Amino acid sequence: MKTMALHHCSYQVARAKVETVRALTDLEKLFRLVLPDGEALNHDPGQFVQVSLFGVGEAPISICSSPTQLDSFELCVRRAGRFTTALHQLNPGAEIGIRGPFGVGFPVIPLEGNDVMLIAGGLGLAPLRSLIHYIIDNRRDFGKVDILLGCRDPQSMLFCDELEVWRKRLDINFSCSVDRGAPDWEGNVGLITALIPGVHLEPLKTVAVVCGPPVMYRFVIQELLKKGIAERHIYLSLERHMKCGLGKCGHCQIENLYCCRDGPVFNYADIKNIKGAI
Amino acid sequence: MDQQALLPQARLGEFVAFLAARQKLIGPVALGYNQYKFAEVTSLEELSLDYLPTILPPKKYFLPYHERLLSYDLSDGQGMEPVVEVEDITLFGLHTCDLAGIQCLNMVFSDHPRDLHYLTRKHHMTLIGLECTDYCDHYANCAMLRTHLPKGGYDLFMTEMNDHYYVDVNTYTGEVLVREADLFERVTPLALKELRSLRDAKKKIFQNELPIRYQDMPKLFDDTCDSEVWTQVGDKCLACGNCTNVCPTCYCFDMADEPELGLTRGHRVRIWDSCQHETFAEVAGGENFRGQRSERQRHRFNRKFHFPLERYKRVFCTGCGRCSRSCMAGIDLKETLNALIDERS
Amino acid sequence: MSRPKVAFFDLACCEGCQLQVANLGEELLDILGRIELVEFREIMSENWPGRYDIAFVEGSVVNDEAEERLLEIRQRSDILIAYGSCATIGGINGIKNRRPIAEVQHAVYGERIDWFPARPTRALHHLVRVDYSIPGCPVYPPELIKVIKAALAGLPYVVPDYAVCVECKFNENVCMYDKGVTCLGPVTRAGCNSWCINHGNICYGCRGLVSNPNQAGAKEVLRRYRLDPDRIVDKMTMYNAAMER
Ligand SMILES: Cc1cc2nc3c(=O)[nH]c(=O)nc-3n(C[C@H](O)[C@H](O)[C@H](O)COP(=O)(O)OP(=O)(O)OC[C@H]3O[C@@H](n4cnc5c(N)ncnc54)[C@H](O)[C@@H]3O)c2cc1C
Ligand code: SF4
Ligand code: FES
Repeated sequence: MKTMALHHCSYQVARAKVETVRALTDLEKLFRLVLPDGEALNHDPGQFVQVSLFGVGEAPISICSSPTQLDSFELCVRRAGRFTTALHQLNPGAEIGIRGPFGVGFPVIPLEGNDVMLIAGGLGLAPLRSLIHYIIDNRRDFGKVDILLGCRDPQSMLFCDELEVWRKRLDINFSCSVDRGAPDWEGNVGLITALIPGVHLEPLKTVAVVCGPPVMYRFVIQELLKKGIAERHIYLSLERHMKCGLGKCGHCQIENLYCCRDGPVFNYADIKNIKGAI
Repeated sequence: MDQQALLPQARLGEFVAFLAARQKLIGPVALGYNQYKFAEVTSLEELSLDYLPTILPPKKYFLPYHERLLSYDLSDGQGMEPVVEVEDITLFGLHTCDLAGIQCLNMVFSDHPRDLHYLTRKHHMTLIGLECTDYCDHYANCAMLRTHLPKGGYDLFMTEMNDHYYVDVNTYTGEVLVREADLFERVTPLALKELRSLRDAKKKIFQNELPIRYQDMPKLFDDTCDSEVWTQVGDKCLACGNCTNVCPTCYCFDMADEPELGLTRGHRVRIWDSCQHETFAEVAGGENFRGQRSERQRHRFNRKFHFPLERYKRVFCTGCGRCSRSCMAGIDLKETLNALIDERS
Repeated sequence: MSRPKVAFFDLACCEGCQLQVANLGEELLDILGRIELVEFREIMSENWPGRYDIAFVEGSVVNDEAEERLLEIRQRSDILIAYGSCATIGGINGIKNRRPIAEVQHAVYGERIDWFPARPTRALHHLVRVDYSIPGCPVYPPELIKVIKAALAGLPYVVPDYAVCVECKFNENVCMYDKGVTCLGPVTRAGCNSWCINHGNICYGCRGLVSNPNQAGAKEVLRRYRLDPDRIVDKMTMYNAAMER
């Protein structure tokens, strides 16, 4: 057996440099990364990258910045285990490996011509933020924009400074709710589903995008359908175990779909009858 | 050079020695208990050409169970170099079902994005097939999948006849072997007749093992999505993963980093994984998308008889019977399909 | 950077795992180049009074004295590695837990029962936080090295949660069930590269059971091969009795 060098392969990683690290909560950190020569990552909102640290491994992480931010990109990472803990130990100046961007992102084109309803639960705000920033940077091209956010408690809320900005903007309707309140919390308490009935929308002209933990989807979709939004007008971003990101390793498979290649963003009408998808 | 040739049986030993002298030669060898594996050989005596499908299929040479993808060196940040482990080898005595398995894997790894590790290795292989004239045992279901007859995917294909092997020369590589070995004869009309009668006899022996047509299989799985059969199969299954490891068309894998002791250098490797394992589809937060053995078994069958048809226009079961043979719990592919067919009717 | 101070300790055990370490050969020299060995009874006589960066503990806890020793080691160590079946799952020592402790003591010590106070067997993680576990009776050297690398790199190590059958298939061994012998491979955690089966022995389950073993399914397998189900229960409790609590 001989070991030969390969010129190129799908597993090779590109170097990226950590510019800044910011702790968002006890569990989540935001990393701003730059590629060599300041090259743009050239991703779609909602796509993900495989982040690599040699000696530790890889993990799929959504890109949480908008492609309109050209000089760098951002990842918001929750400390969940082996890889993410190692990532959290990095300081500015450190190097990481990147593969991707991978997958099918959010449908920017149909969103542009319509009103937009964006619904995020917990860490689901990270991928959705790439779209929110994209919309804000091209605000004139979109119709009415509603953002609904749900989280466990006020302490686990991500991007608090940005939420404040969104809340204040007149061209965005932002509302949020926590499952469990806190003494100094003045906002809504309750499940995110409770926010949906109160939103004024024109169902035929609205496209909804939902991103959150698996348990959230069924209930949120029910509410959206009740509002008269068509199944075709609902998009979801699904999470699965992923290893290769290339549609090969099988970990992310949902029946005949590969979440890494055919998703992670799916149209609800396409997957509603697929067993185990939602 | 003709597309066909004859190798006198008495000269098979010389042909094997010729192949072994050229490059590493791999063929079926006996392990006892009527079990076999593909291993390196240098002479005909070491081979067991009358063999049941080997424990592991030839995929172990195309997609090794442990394979280096990249070499890294942390003294250079995230510096790395893609590497591939290759070897020139000749695989000898491959059954038609195993050739079919290789064809399936070829499609998957040539599909975009191309897997250059697999494809590089593939180009270092010479494949020589050997025809089965009878079923290996009752576990096989190759007639149903039409993999009991040669349908390409080899360089040379040999059919044992009375005094000769009838050899189909399918590629230029095969042509060169026949020429350089200098052991082959021209095909005679008599030999052609013998081949035809052998194939006619095969038609009588190999008949669709199950009451279902090839083209109707995806529908069977659509209809039996919530079948009780899956619960029963799941109750028996030990989730050991034998069935997927021995499957010639299972290719799920995991990736890991293997540092050297100094921790600065190491390799990123790919290792076979199995959709039957408990944690295969589990994500952070503890959600497991196929937490039940019954769901995982249904997934396995669908990955053979249903899902690949759409993209690859082909059933990914080769009928080799390995999964049934290696399952300690006695989960039998033919029995399971029969149970599904029964339940639906 | 100074090399981490490493010590090896043993509680109730046969010291077979220490022998595996001592027998690592060339790799041991490489490891010794990366660490500072401060205590290891099997190969040196020194005692170290200070803190340990990494403490390897072999053996299980079977009496109060061992418990005290373990607590002290834990207090003095940054990283504690349980190695061997006795330390990780109780192992053979766990057999005594199959009967009431008094009965066991009586059978062993007879009249002198008071001289030898005993407790049911406990694995280390039953009493203290364990940072790494290396199961096996004895430990499988390549896995030991893998864990040492993980500990030096500050990364966790998780014992595979799939069956020994996986590695046994990779090695293309003839299945023990096809030879008419009961083997615990299908319900035992892999990571040993099916060491025993490669050498013609069966799997005794020394690495502990997979997290969700299909017990009913395993019994069915025995029925199918006309093997006695009691035999597998016997075999399962040989190493795993201390884990049933
Ligand atoms: C498309 C996609 C986008 C994601 N985006 C983000 C993001 O923006 N921010 C973020 O913090 N997390 C994100 N995740 C989740 C993140 O990938 C996992 O938290 C991470 O892989 C866990 O790795 P670990 O080594 O830290 O944990 P481990 O120690 O490996 O294990 C912790 C848990 O994570 C599961 N897990 C392990 N590997 C994977 C994997 N490759 N994919 C999914 N689950 C896995 C394990 O089964 C286990 O339950 C995303 C996942 C996917 C699939
Ligand atoms: S070989 Fe049998 S017991 Fe093992 S995972 Fe496959 S079906 Fe289950
Ligand atoms: S992550 Fe490997 S197939 Fe999707």
